[in-house]
Amino acid sequence: MVASFAAGTALLLGGLYTANAATGESGTSVAGVTASSSSATSADSDSAGSGVSDVVTAANAFIATLDSDQQSSVLLDFTQANATAWSNLPCGSTCRVGIELSSLSDTQLTAAKAVIKAATGTGTDTGDDQVTQILAADDYLGETATGYGSGNYYLAFLGTPSTSGTWQLHFGGHHLALNLTYKDGAVEGSTPYFVGVEPTSWTGDDGTSYAPLSGMYDGMKAMVDSLTTDELSEAKLSESFSDVLLGPDDDGAFPSTKEGLKVSELTDDQQALVLAAIKPWVDVADDDTAASVLSTYKSELDETYISYSGSTDLSAQGDYVRIDGPGVWIEFVCQDGVVFSSQIHYHTVYRDHNTDYGGEFTFS
Amino acid sequence: MSRPPISLSHALRMLAGIATAVTAALLLAAPPAAAHPMPHSVLLLDVHETSVSVELELPVSDFSRASGIELDDRTTARQLAARRAVIRRYLAAHVRPTTLKGKAWTVAFGDVVLNRAEQTSTGPYRELTVRATLTPPAGGDTRHFALGYDAVVHQVVTHTVLVSIRQDWATGHVADGDGGSATQVGVIRIDTRTMKVTPLTINLETGSVWSGTYAMFRLGADHILEGTDHLLFLLILLLPTPLLASRHRWRGTVDAKTAMGRMARTTLAFTIGHSLALALSAFGKLDIPAQPVEAFIAFSILVGAVHAIRPLFPGHEAVVAGFFGLGHGLAFSFVLAQMHLSTAQLALSLAGFNLGIEAMQLLLVLLAMPSLLLLTRLPRTAVVRCACAALTAVAALGWLLDRLGLANPVARAADSAGTHTSELFVVLTGAAVLAALWTAVSRRRGRGPVRAPDTSETLQRTPRADFALRNRR
Repeated sequence: MVASFAAGTALLLGGLYTANAATGESGTSVAGVTASSSSATSADSDSAGSGVSDVVTAANAFIATLDSDQQSSVLLDFTQANATAWSNLPCGSTCRVGIELSSLSDTQLTAAKAVIKAATGTGTDTGDDQVTQILAADDYLGETATGYGSGNYYLAFLGTPSTSGTWQLHFGGHHLALNLTYKDGAVEGSTPYFVGVEPTSWTGDDGTSYAPLSGMYDGMKAMVDSLTTDELSEAKLSESFSDVLLGPDDDGAFPSTKEGLKVSELTDDQQALVLAAIKPWVDVADDDTAASVLSTYKSELDETYISYSGSTDLSAQGDYVRIDGPGVWIEFVCQDGVVFSSQIHYHTVYRDHNTDYGGEFTFS
Repeated sequence: MSRPPISLSHALRMLAGIATAVTAALLLAAPPAAAHPMPHSVLLLDVHETSVSVELELPVSDFSRASGIELDDRTTARQLAARRAVIRRYLAAHVRPTTLKGKAWTVAFGDVVLNRAEQTSTGPYRELTVRATLTPPAGGDTRHFALGYDAVVHQVVTHTVLVSIRQDWATGHVADGDGGSATQVGVIRIDTRTMKVTPLTINLETGSVWSGTYAMFRLGADHILEGTDHLLFLLILLLPTPLLASRHRWRGTVDAKTAMGRMARTTLAFTIGHSLALALSAFGKLDIPAQPVEAFIAFSILVGAVHAIRPLFPGHEAVVAGFFGLGHGLAFSFVLAQMHLSTAQLALSLAGFNLGIEAMQLLLVLLAMPSLLLLTRLPRTAVVRCACAALTAVAALGWLLDRLGLANPVARAADSAGTHTSELFVVLTGAAVLAALWTAVSRRRGRGPVRAPDTSETLQRTPRADFALRNRR
């Protein structure tokens, strides 16, 4: 009696999801994809990060590996509450939405990772490579402390993945929040992107060296090191920072006045260093999107400000660098370690004044 | 002699039901606190009628960065003492409560100490704890005011201050301790748009005399339940009340009526003793040092445990309970003393708190009574009794040493027993139910419970013990 009721409910829910998906897909039969058992493996063999259609294909392939209960954890509404449900903390499902990676089978996990790979950039220490290393960092932390590990990351689709309509790929866990918003087959926003790491570098069991934020560090360091004494004093902020200013829940709360040193006052070489410093964050999105966004930021450089707090060594608690333009907002901060308390670790956040969550929400 | 209006087993069954309901009510837990990325400051407010006391908990790393006052993991007590004045001066410039119309309150700072702390996902860190008293201008309102506060956050702009009410008698917020049950009323941090810190408006709902008194009743009940030492003293004293002393030994039993009479008198005497001392100490505002009182209580339990093994004062348990009850009452008064209540609040608190103690104590004694009576009828009763007494004596010794300055694992274990209140209820209720069943079965068979085959207890001068009472008609 109870069992048949449960089965009936499951069938009903499954039917609803299929119906929703079919509407979102505007004609393309998702039910057909669901029925195809080979789709997961075909997505897996895709080359990474080109068009949105590849992301949608990978997303549907992943969805097809899930049972109806799992699908209901993954396919969520594109609401402000769901979109902003992310954190830098290892707070699991208490602070984020989506399906926990540790609950997936090997096949499902492979399909999930294929989605991230299709949606993010192909660079080294950026995009998919960086995301993969952040998960590895958490496994490394998990060897020393409890509560960490690559299984404690969550994936959700807010809205129905499709090449039309608006939806968001929402993925994250400790030190990671990836929010890629799609509209009508294009990336509408690749922020907020929170990425941090502890420890800043480590060696894996197989001897591989990891330093997933080294490119970001190098870019910021080269930028501040290029400044003259006068420029440094202009770039210096009077406030202190023990974390990023605009972390989780600080959506739309950009300072109304930009502080620091205006990039238009810098030489061409210095300006190139500013753009190079921005690039590793922008490269979180697929390569085409990243190139397009970077060219926008390049055109806005004259109105962009750079600033720092603490010291430009970027080696002690409170050392902090910010890039704040008409669009771009990047913060990089050194903080005392939590697990390895004798070392510092990095927190960074990349936001866009206009296109956080695709600009779909207004924050008052 | 007339038969009691309600049969004993009936009464026991009712009691078991009540105990289960009370247990369920007490098990309702408080919601967990929210997480935050970096250690944040915490302000714990105790709202009184004419002032607000605040405990400021400030992570030293951000405090030091913001204030320029050097404090870190290596700061010693002596260094802290040397910096106390400058710390207070810094805080005085950044803690500025006003009336809602902007009129300044006065702020006085007290203790400054360094502690260790840990918040969600922060790892352990060092924290500066400062006490302050905020006083509104004459006639000012302590329930509605503007908390101008920007310590640390004026400089470390990523810092957050969580403001919570720890104690507010009028709304029934009276839990003692470290603020684990405090209610968050606001967050102070910089507005990142304007990069300014605005005062936090404190707007507390109007309280009532009832909620304060009821909260004190709950506190009293919790206090006897969690304060293992008070309960243990009473129970160990009640343990030999059904026994008959002869030639410096416990030999045989008295009848159930005598036993229950002794239990009632002992409990009543303990109540009178601690109520008297509690009232005198609270109203006399006596400043009694805690340590000797706590040691006295540990000693009282030890005396009770020895008495349970060899009779020291047989038949006079009530007198002893009354005498030692005075000490326990002084200990209860410490809870009230730290709340800084006005006289009217104190009177109501005293009544509520004491009633809570008595209600819980009565419930526990009634629950324990059938087991205590039955225990003397069990085989090897002397062994069981002496084992209980010995265990109690060990706990009492542990506490005694601990309260004389020698911390030890026995005292820690005994204290932690007070956190297992639900298990305590389950055991007491279970034992009461078993005892009730035993009695019921014995009655149906038309005879009293089996005689203890303990050959050492040969002297049976009283009639056969039976607490079914029926055989004595």
